[in-house]
Amino acid sequence: MTTIEGRPVRVAILSFAHLHAHGYALALKANPDADLVLIADDDAERGAAMAEHYGVEYVPDYRDAVVRDDIDAVVICSENVRHKEMTIAAAEAGKHVLCEKPIATTVDDALAMIAACRDNRVKLQIAFPVRFNSAVHGLKAAIDRGAIGEPLIIASRNPGTCPQSWFVQPELSGGGAVIDHTVHVVDTLRWMLGVEVEEVYAEIDTRIYDFEADDTGLLMMKLSNGVPVSLDTSWSRPANNPIWGGVMIDVVGETGVLSLDAFRANIELIEIQGPSNTRIGVEASGDPEMIDAFIQAVRADSETSPNGEDGLRAMEVALAAYESAKAQQPVKIAHAAVA
Amino acid sequence: MSSPTPSSPSAQTHPVPASPAQLRDRPVRFAVVGTGGMGGHHARNLAAMPDVELTWLVDIDLPRAQALAAEIGGTPTASMEEAFAADNVDAVLIALPTFLHRDATVLAAQHGKHVFCEKPIARTVEDGEAMVAACEAAGVTFMVGHVVRFFPEYERMKEILDAGKLGRIATIRASRTNPPVMERSPWFADVEKNGGVVLDLMIHEIDTLRWLFGDVERVFAHGLSYLPIHEKRDYTMASIRFRSGAIAHVEASWAHSTHRTSIEVAGQYGLATYSSEQAATLIVEPTEGIDWNAPGGIRVPARHYLRPGVVAPHLKEVQHFVACLKTGEPVRVNGEEATKALAVANAVLDSMRTGVPVFFNEDGTVRASAAAAATTATATA
Repeated sequence: MTTIEGRPVRVAILSFAHLHAHGYALALKANPDADLVLIADDDAERGAAMAEHYGVEYVPDYRDAVVRDDIDAVVICSENVRHKEMTIAAAEAGKHVLCEKPIATTVDDALAMIAACRDNRVKLQIAFPVRFNSAVHGLKAAIDRGAIGEPLIIASRNPGTCPQSWFVQPELSGGGAVIDHTVHVVDTLRWMLGVEVEEVYAEIDTRIYDFEADDTGLLMMKLSNGVPVSLDTSWSRPANNPIWGGVMIDVVGETGVLSLDAFRANIELIEIQGPSNTRIGVEASGDPEMIDAFIQAVRADSETSPNGEDGLRAMEVALAAYESAKAQQPVKIAHAAVA
Repeated sequence: MSSPTPSSPSAQTHPVPASPAQLRDRPVRFAVVGTGGMGGHHARNLAAMPDVELTWLVDIDLPRAQALAAEIGGTPTASMEEAFAADNVDAVLIALPTFLHRDATVLAAQHGKHVFCEKPIARTVEDGEAMVAACEAAGVTFMVGHVVRFFPEYERMKEILDAGKLGRIATIRASRTNPPVMERSPWFADVEKNGGVVLDLMIHEIDTLRWLFGDVERVFAHGLSYLPIHEKRDYTMASIRFRSGAIAHVEASWAHSTHRTSIEVAGQYGLATYSSEQAATLIVEPTEGIDWNAPGGIRVPARHYLRPGVVAPHLKEVQHFVACLKTGEPVRVNGEEATKALAVANAVLDSMRTGVPVFFNEDGTVRASAAAAATTATATA
């Protein structure tokens, strides 16, 4: 691990399997304290194209990338099941890690990633951009200033278009819509309210598509402060939906209701040539802020947030939801101890 | 020589309900039982209908019935028996507090009167079944006022779904919010007697979703109805799994500031959404009476959201009931359907209380669950 003294943090993106890599690449290019050096991808066609697009070097094998001296940190956007091997390889090479959510697909993998980063004294941040979204910050501020009194009950949803590809192959993604979309809102609730999810009941199925992965999910959770939360995780937006989906959180409180639509798209665009209806929002995505938080934590050698444990706690809820749906009963969530 | 009265002496001992043949060419004569909010609304609608004669207004609060009679006609009385025994009543519209529905419906049926009863049909499934049986035995038509089935958007939604436009249904979100009504009428907060927000509001969505998507397999719910806060704010959200496999999230609230309903259906081939907030075709925005110095900022008069030309659903459902009496056609919402919706609503309450899901058998009865029994036992002990 090299010392970073007044120079940009040099970053490698490991894999463009996850489409969020585009948002992170743009944020890294725009951040004066970061320097995107290379893109590693074992999909040569995709990796070379992305490297050319962003004007950086292409490296076929991520293992060659993590050991290089001109790299300080990596951003991992591989298939979920590969987060573990890439994180551990980077940590052992002394590189800081920003890993796409969900942290992993099993508790053991997540614990191994957290341990590797701790043992090698590198940062581990999990990519939860929603808690950096400006509207979500507004929601937290409204709750904190008592705009609705004590929160009593919360109805939330994170519906989206189906990402297809490896996302719908459970052996690569660890599930389907539930593992893909549970973690965003759970992380946001934990951050916003300082709580854990204690129990989950879930209805999960494959109803829209013909693949094996689940595309439809409804979670009924109970938080450690007693507040119940519902969460719809479904890939229920049609492929030609004017917007990818959204994060909506309605908080019913003692003296009022807060209704958040974090990615509301206010502008409607209809083009004669092109898609008949597109919607464009103006809210901050959270990507640049989330990337900057990681870069500054690396520069200042400070704690990352959201860290590996945050990633683990969110993933545990998704895994318990699958268990609940199978058992058709609510499941208490066992929170694995982090050394 | 006088023409025979419709209710002959023999009909008084064995009351015969008015038949379509009798009702086709004359007004249907109504007694309205309960002249509070909904009863008064229905009574005014009935009084204005050309093929209806409003003959009796029944209320235990006699001055209230008298005041309404002075406005729209009809004979006021505090006695259901008096009105039901009269020979100028063909049908009864019941708009009483929920727990009184059974006795009023059974009594009306025994007098050979057709019955339109406000929703929910009753507080318990047992009561609902007794009402259905009494109406069947008496040969009277029985309809329950699940008015959402008469909203044009929900009717159109059913056409879209029945045409298979969305294919296999994946998820449904249905919501109904209202201001905390218990601030005005505290009896709404009595969950034991009236079922709280689930039996008053969520029953609308439950009936509508059963109409659109069929029978229910299991329910699980969270909410405020059994917490002390429910006397000020009530809110419930339920996960409803249909036998078809579709998964619904249903929300009912007495914790918002305005009335709103919405439904979203996602399936294999697309997405259909409706929100009452976008339903208005005409908005009236008054600019007189703006208070520029109200505490906390400017206060403006309320806007009015209108839909000119759309028949008010509460009128439409009663028109439908009258038409069915005249034609003999089946009513859109019968007692069996309303009882099934009630069974699901009560399962929502039970799940909320016990913390475990409630499962239904194929015949619509609740499946005894070991976990539920254990939790209930603990809660009772």
